[in-house]
Amino acid sequence: MQSVVEFDNVGLRYGTGAETLTDLSFTLYPGSFYFLTGASGAGKTSLLKLLYLAHRPSRGAIRMFGKDAVTMPRERMPGFRRRIGVVFQDFRLVPHLSTFDNIALPLRIAGIQEKDLKGPVTEMLAWIGLTERADARPATLSGGEQQRVAIARAVIGRPEILVADEPTGNVDPDMARRLLQLFAALNKLGTTVVVATHDIHLLNEIEGAQMMRLDKGRLSDPSGLLKNPPRPLVLKN
Amino acid sequence: MLLDFALPDHERKLIPEGRISGPMPWVIAIMMFLTMLSAIAGLVLVNAARQGSDDLSSRVTVQIIEPDPTARAGQRAAINKALKSNQDIKTIRAVPDAEIRDLLEPWLGGDIIDADIAIPALVDVTFKNRPGKEQLEKLRSQIRTLSSSARIDSQAVWMGPYLQLMRALLWLAGGVIFLLLLATCAAVILAVRSALNTHRETINIMHMLGGTDIQAARLFQRRVALDAMLGGVIGFAGALAVFWILAGRFAAIGPSLLSSASIPWFGWIILALIPLAVTGLAMLMARWTVVSALRKML
Repeated sequence: MQSVVEFDNVGLRYGTGAETLTDLSFTLYPGSFYFLTGASGAGKTSLLKLLYLAHRPSRGAIRMFGKDAVTMPRERMPGFRRRIGVVFQDFRLVPHLSTFDNIALPLRIAGIQEKDLKGPVTEMLAWIGLTERADARPATLSGGEQQRVAIARAVIGRPEILVADEPTGNVDPDMARRLLQLFAALNKLGTTVVVATHDIHLLNEIEGAQMMRLDKGRLSDPSGLLKNPPRPLVLKN
Repeated sequence: MLLDFALPDHERKLIPEGRISGPMPWVIAIMMFLTMLSAIAGLVLVNAARQGSDDLSSRVTVQIIEPDPTARAGQRAAINKALKSNQDIKTIRAVPDAEIRDLLEPWLGGDIIDADIAIPALVDVTFKNRPGKEQLEKLRSQIRTLSSSARIDSQAVWMGPYLQLMRALLWLAGGVIFLLLLATCAAVILAVRSALNTHRETINIMHMLGGTDIQAARLFQRRVALDAMLGGVIGFAGALAVFWILAGRFAAIGPSLLSSASIPWFGWIILALIPLAVTGLAMLMARWTVVSALRKML
């Protein structure tokens, strides 16, 4: 099967400090669902940054969508980033844009016509339960509402890879389950999903999800192969 | 460039626009005001130099310095008549004694002139074209046969330093305009850098969502263009107002090269183009600044 992402002996170092990520080698396949776990400071966010092309690695090779992402000219980066949806840990919503405009942003950046984006954005607003807050600014939304907007923004463009950093950290269990259902639905449509989380219970929510565990910047499986979770999981409704 | 300027409403919202509240339009208005004043001064000088050069440099004055009034009048009449056969000459005018007296009276006083000062007779000669050395020599030899005391003053001779001064002032005006444009560019760069820092997070988010440098640059270009246009209109209007006032003052000082301070027709086109050019320049600088700054990001 053609891989979506390949890491080969990747290391990441910020400045002249010690390596934050060391010797990462793994492959992500289309339509797979991955949970990335590990203690705080293990390097989960750094690994996600490599996945959404916010950083280049200090060493090693990364291939994304069959192309070398390490030596890729920066002019080509936007095209690749549009194929990746990102849910940031701190949401990173544009503070002066409404909920509607924040969700519509990736589509507008991609050049989608206004008449074509109103339907999907309205539908997404309904899905995350924020139809009534379509005109609200992020500052007036609760943490959970902001997180839902951030997730909606990440998935609205039907990305090929969805990278989410603690996407359910600020929402109640019911909403967490709903959001995971959204991820699962996207995954079924072929999107590769990578979710970084502390919440061990989430691992049971998605059937067939695989787990990557980071420990002090290294994948805990030294072979670099991704493990299935210890027991089969069924998506709960 | 025009398309870059016409941003849809939702893109405008990405960078909130606080026009007038910021100093940019006013800085540009001041720069534009000074640029326009320099340009107007330059154009008036061009016009004055052109007119002066055309009108005066083709003229010579024959001075007949003869103490005997009868001989002086005879020589003037003879020169007047003889020069009519010169094919290079367009007009000949014997300046009446009364007119010469009026010219000298403010300096010498009426009584002295009447008493004992021999006033030279003057003949104004206008050539068809600006006379060269050959034509002046021909005129000189023609006059020498009629009057040994006659002297020829080519107005081009005394005009020379005047025209050189005009040219120097013109270069100065050009230099001032150039420096003002540089200062405008610097102001735009500083303002855009400041705005870029203010909106850094929005630009980072756009980047992470697949936005390009050009998409980000367009947001700033539009904002700068609006500020530059507003500043341009204010500066342009101010400079024109000053010009109208000064033109009236120049007209009031009486006949001189600058008394008809006016702008040639092509000058108005140049003046109208300056605000547009500054707006275009500001947009280019904004684009360049943003793209250069973003190039340092991944």
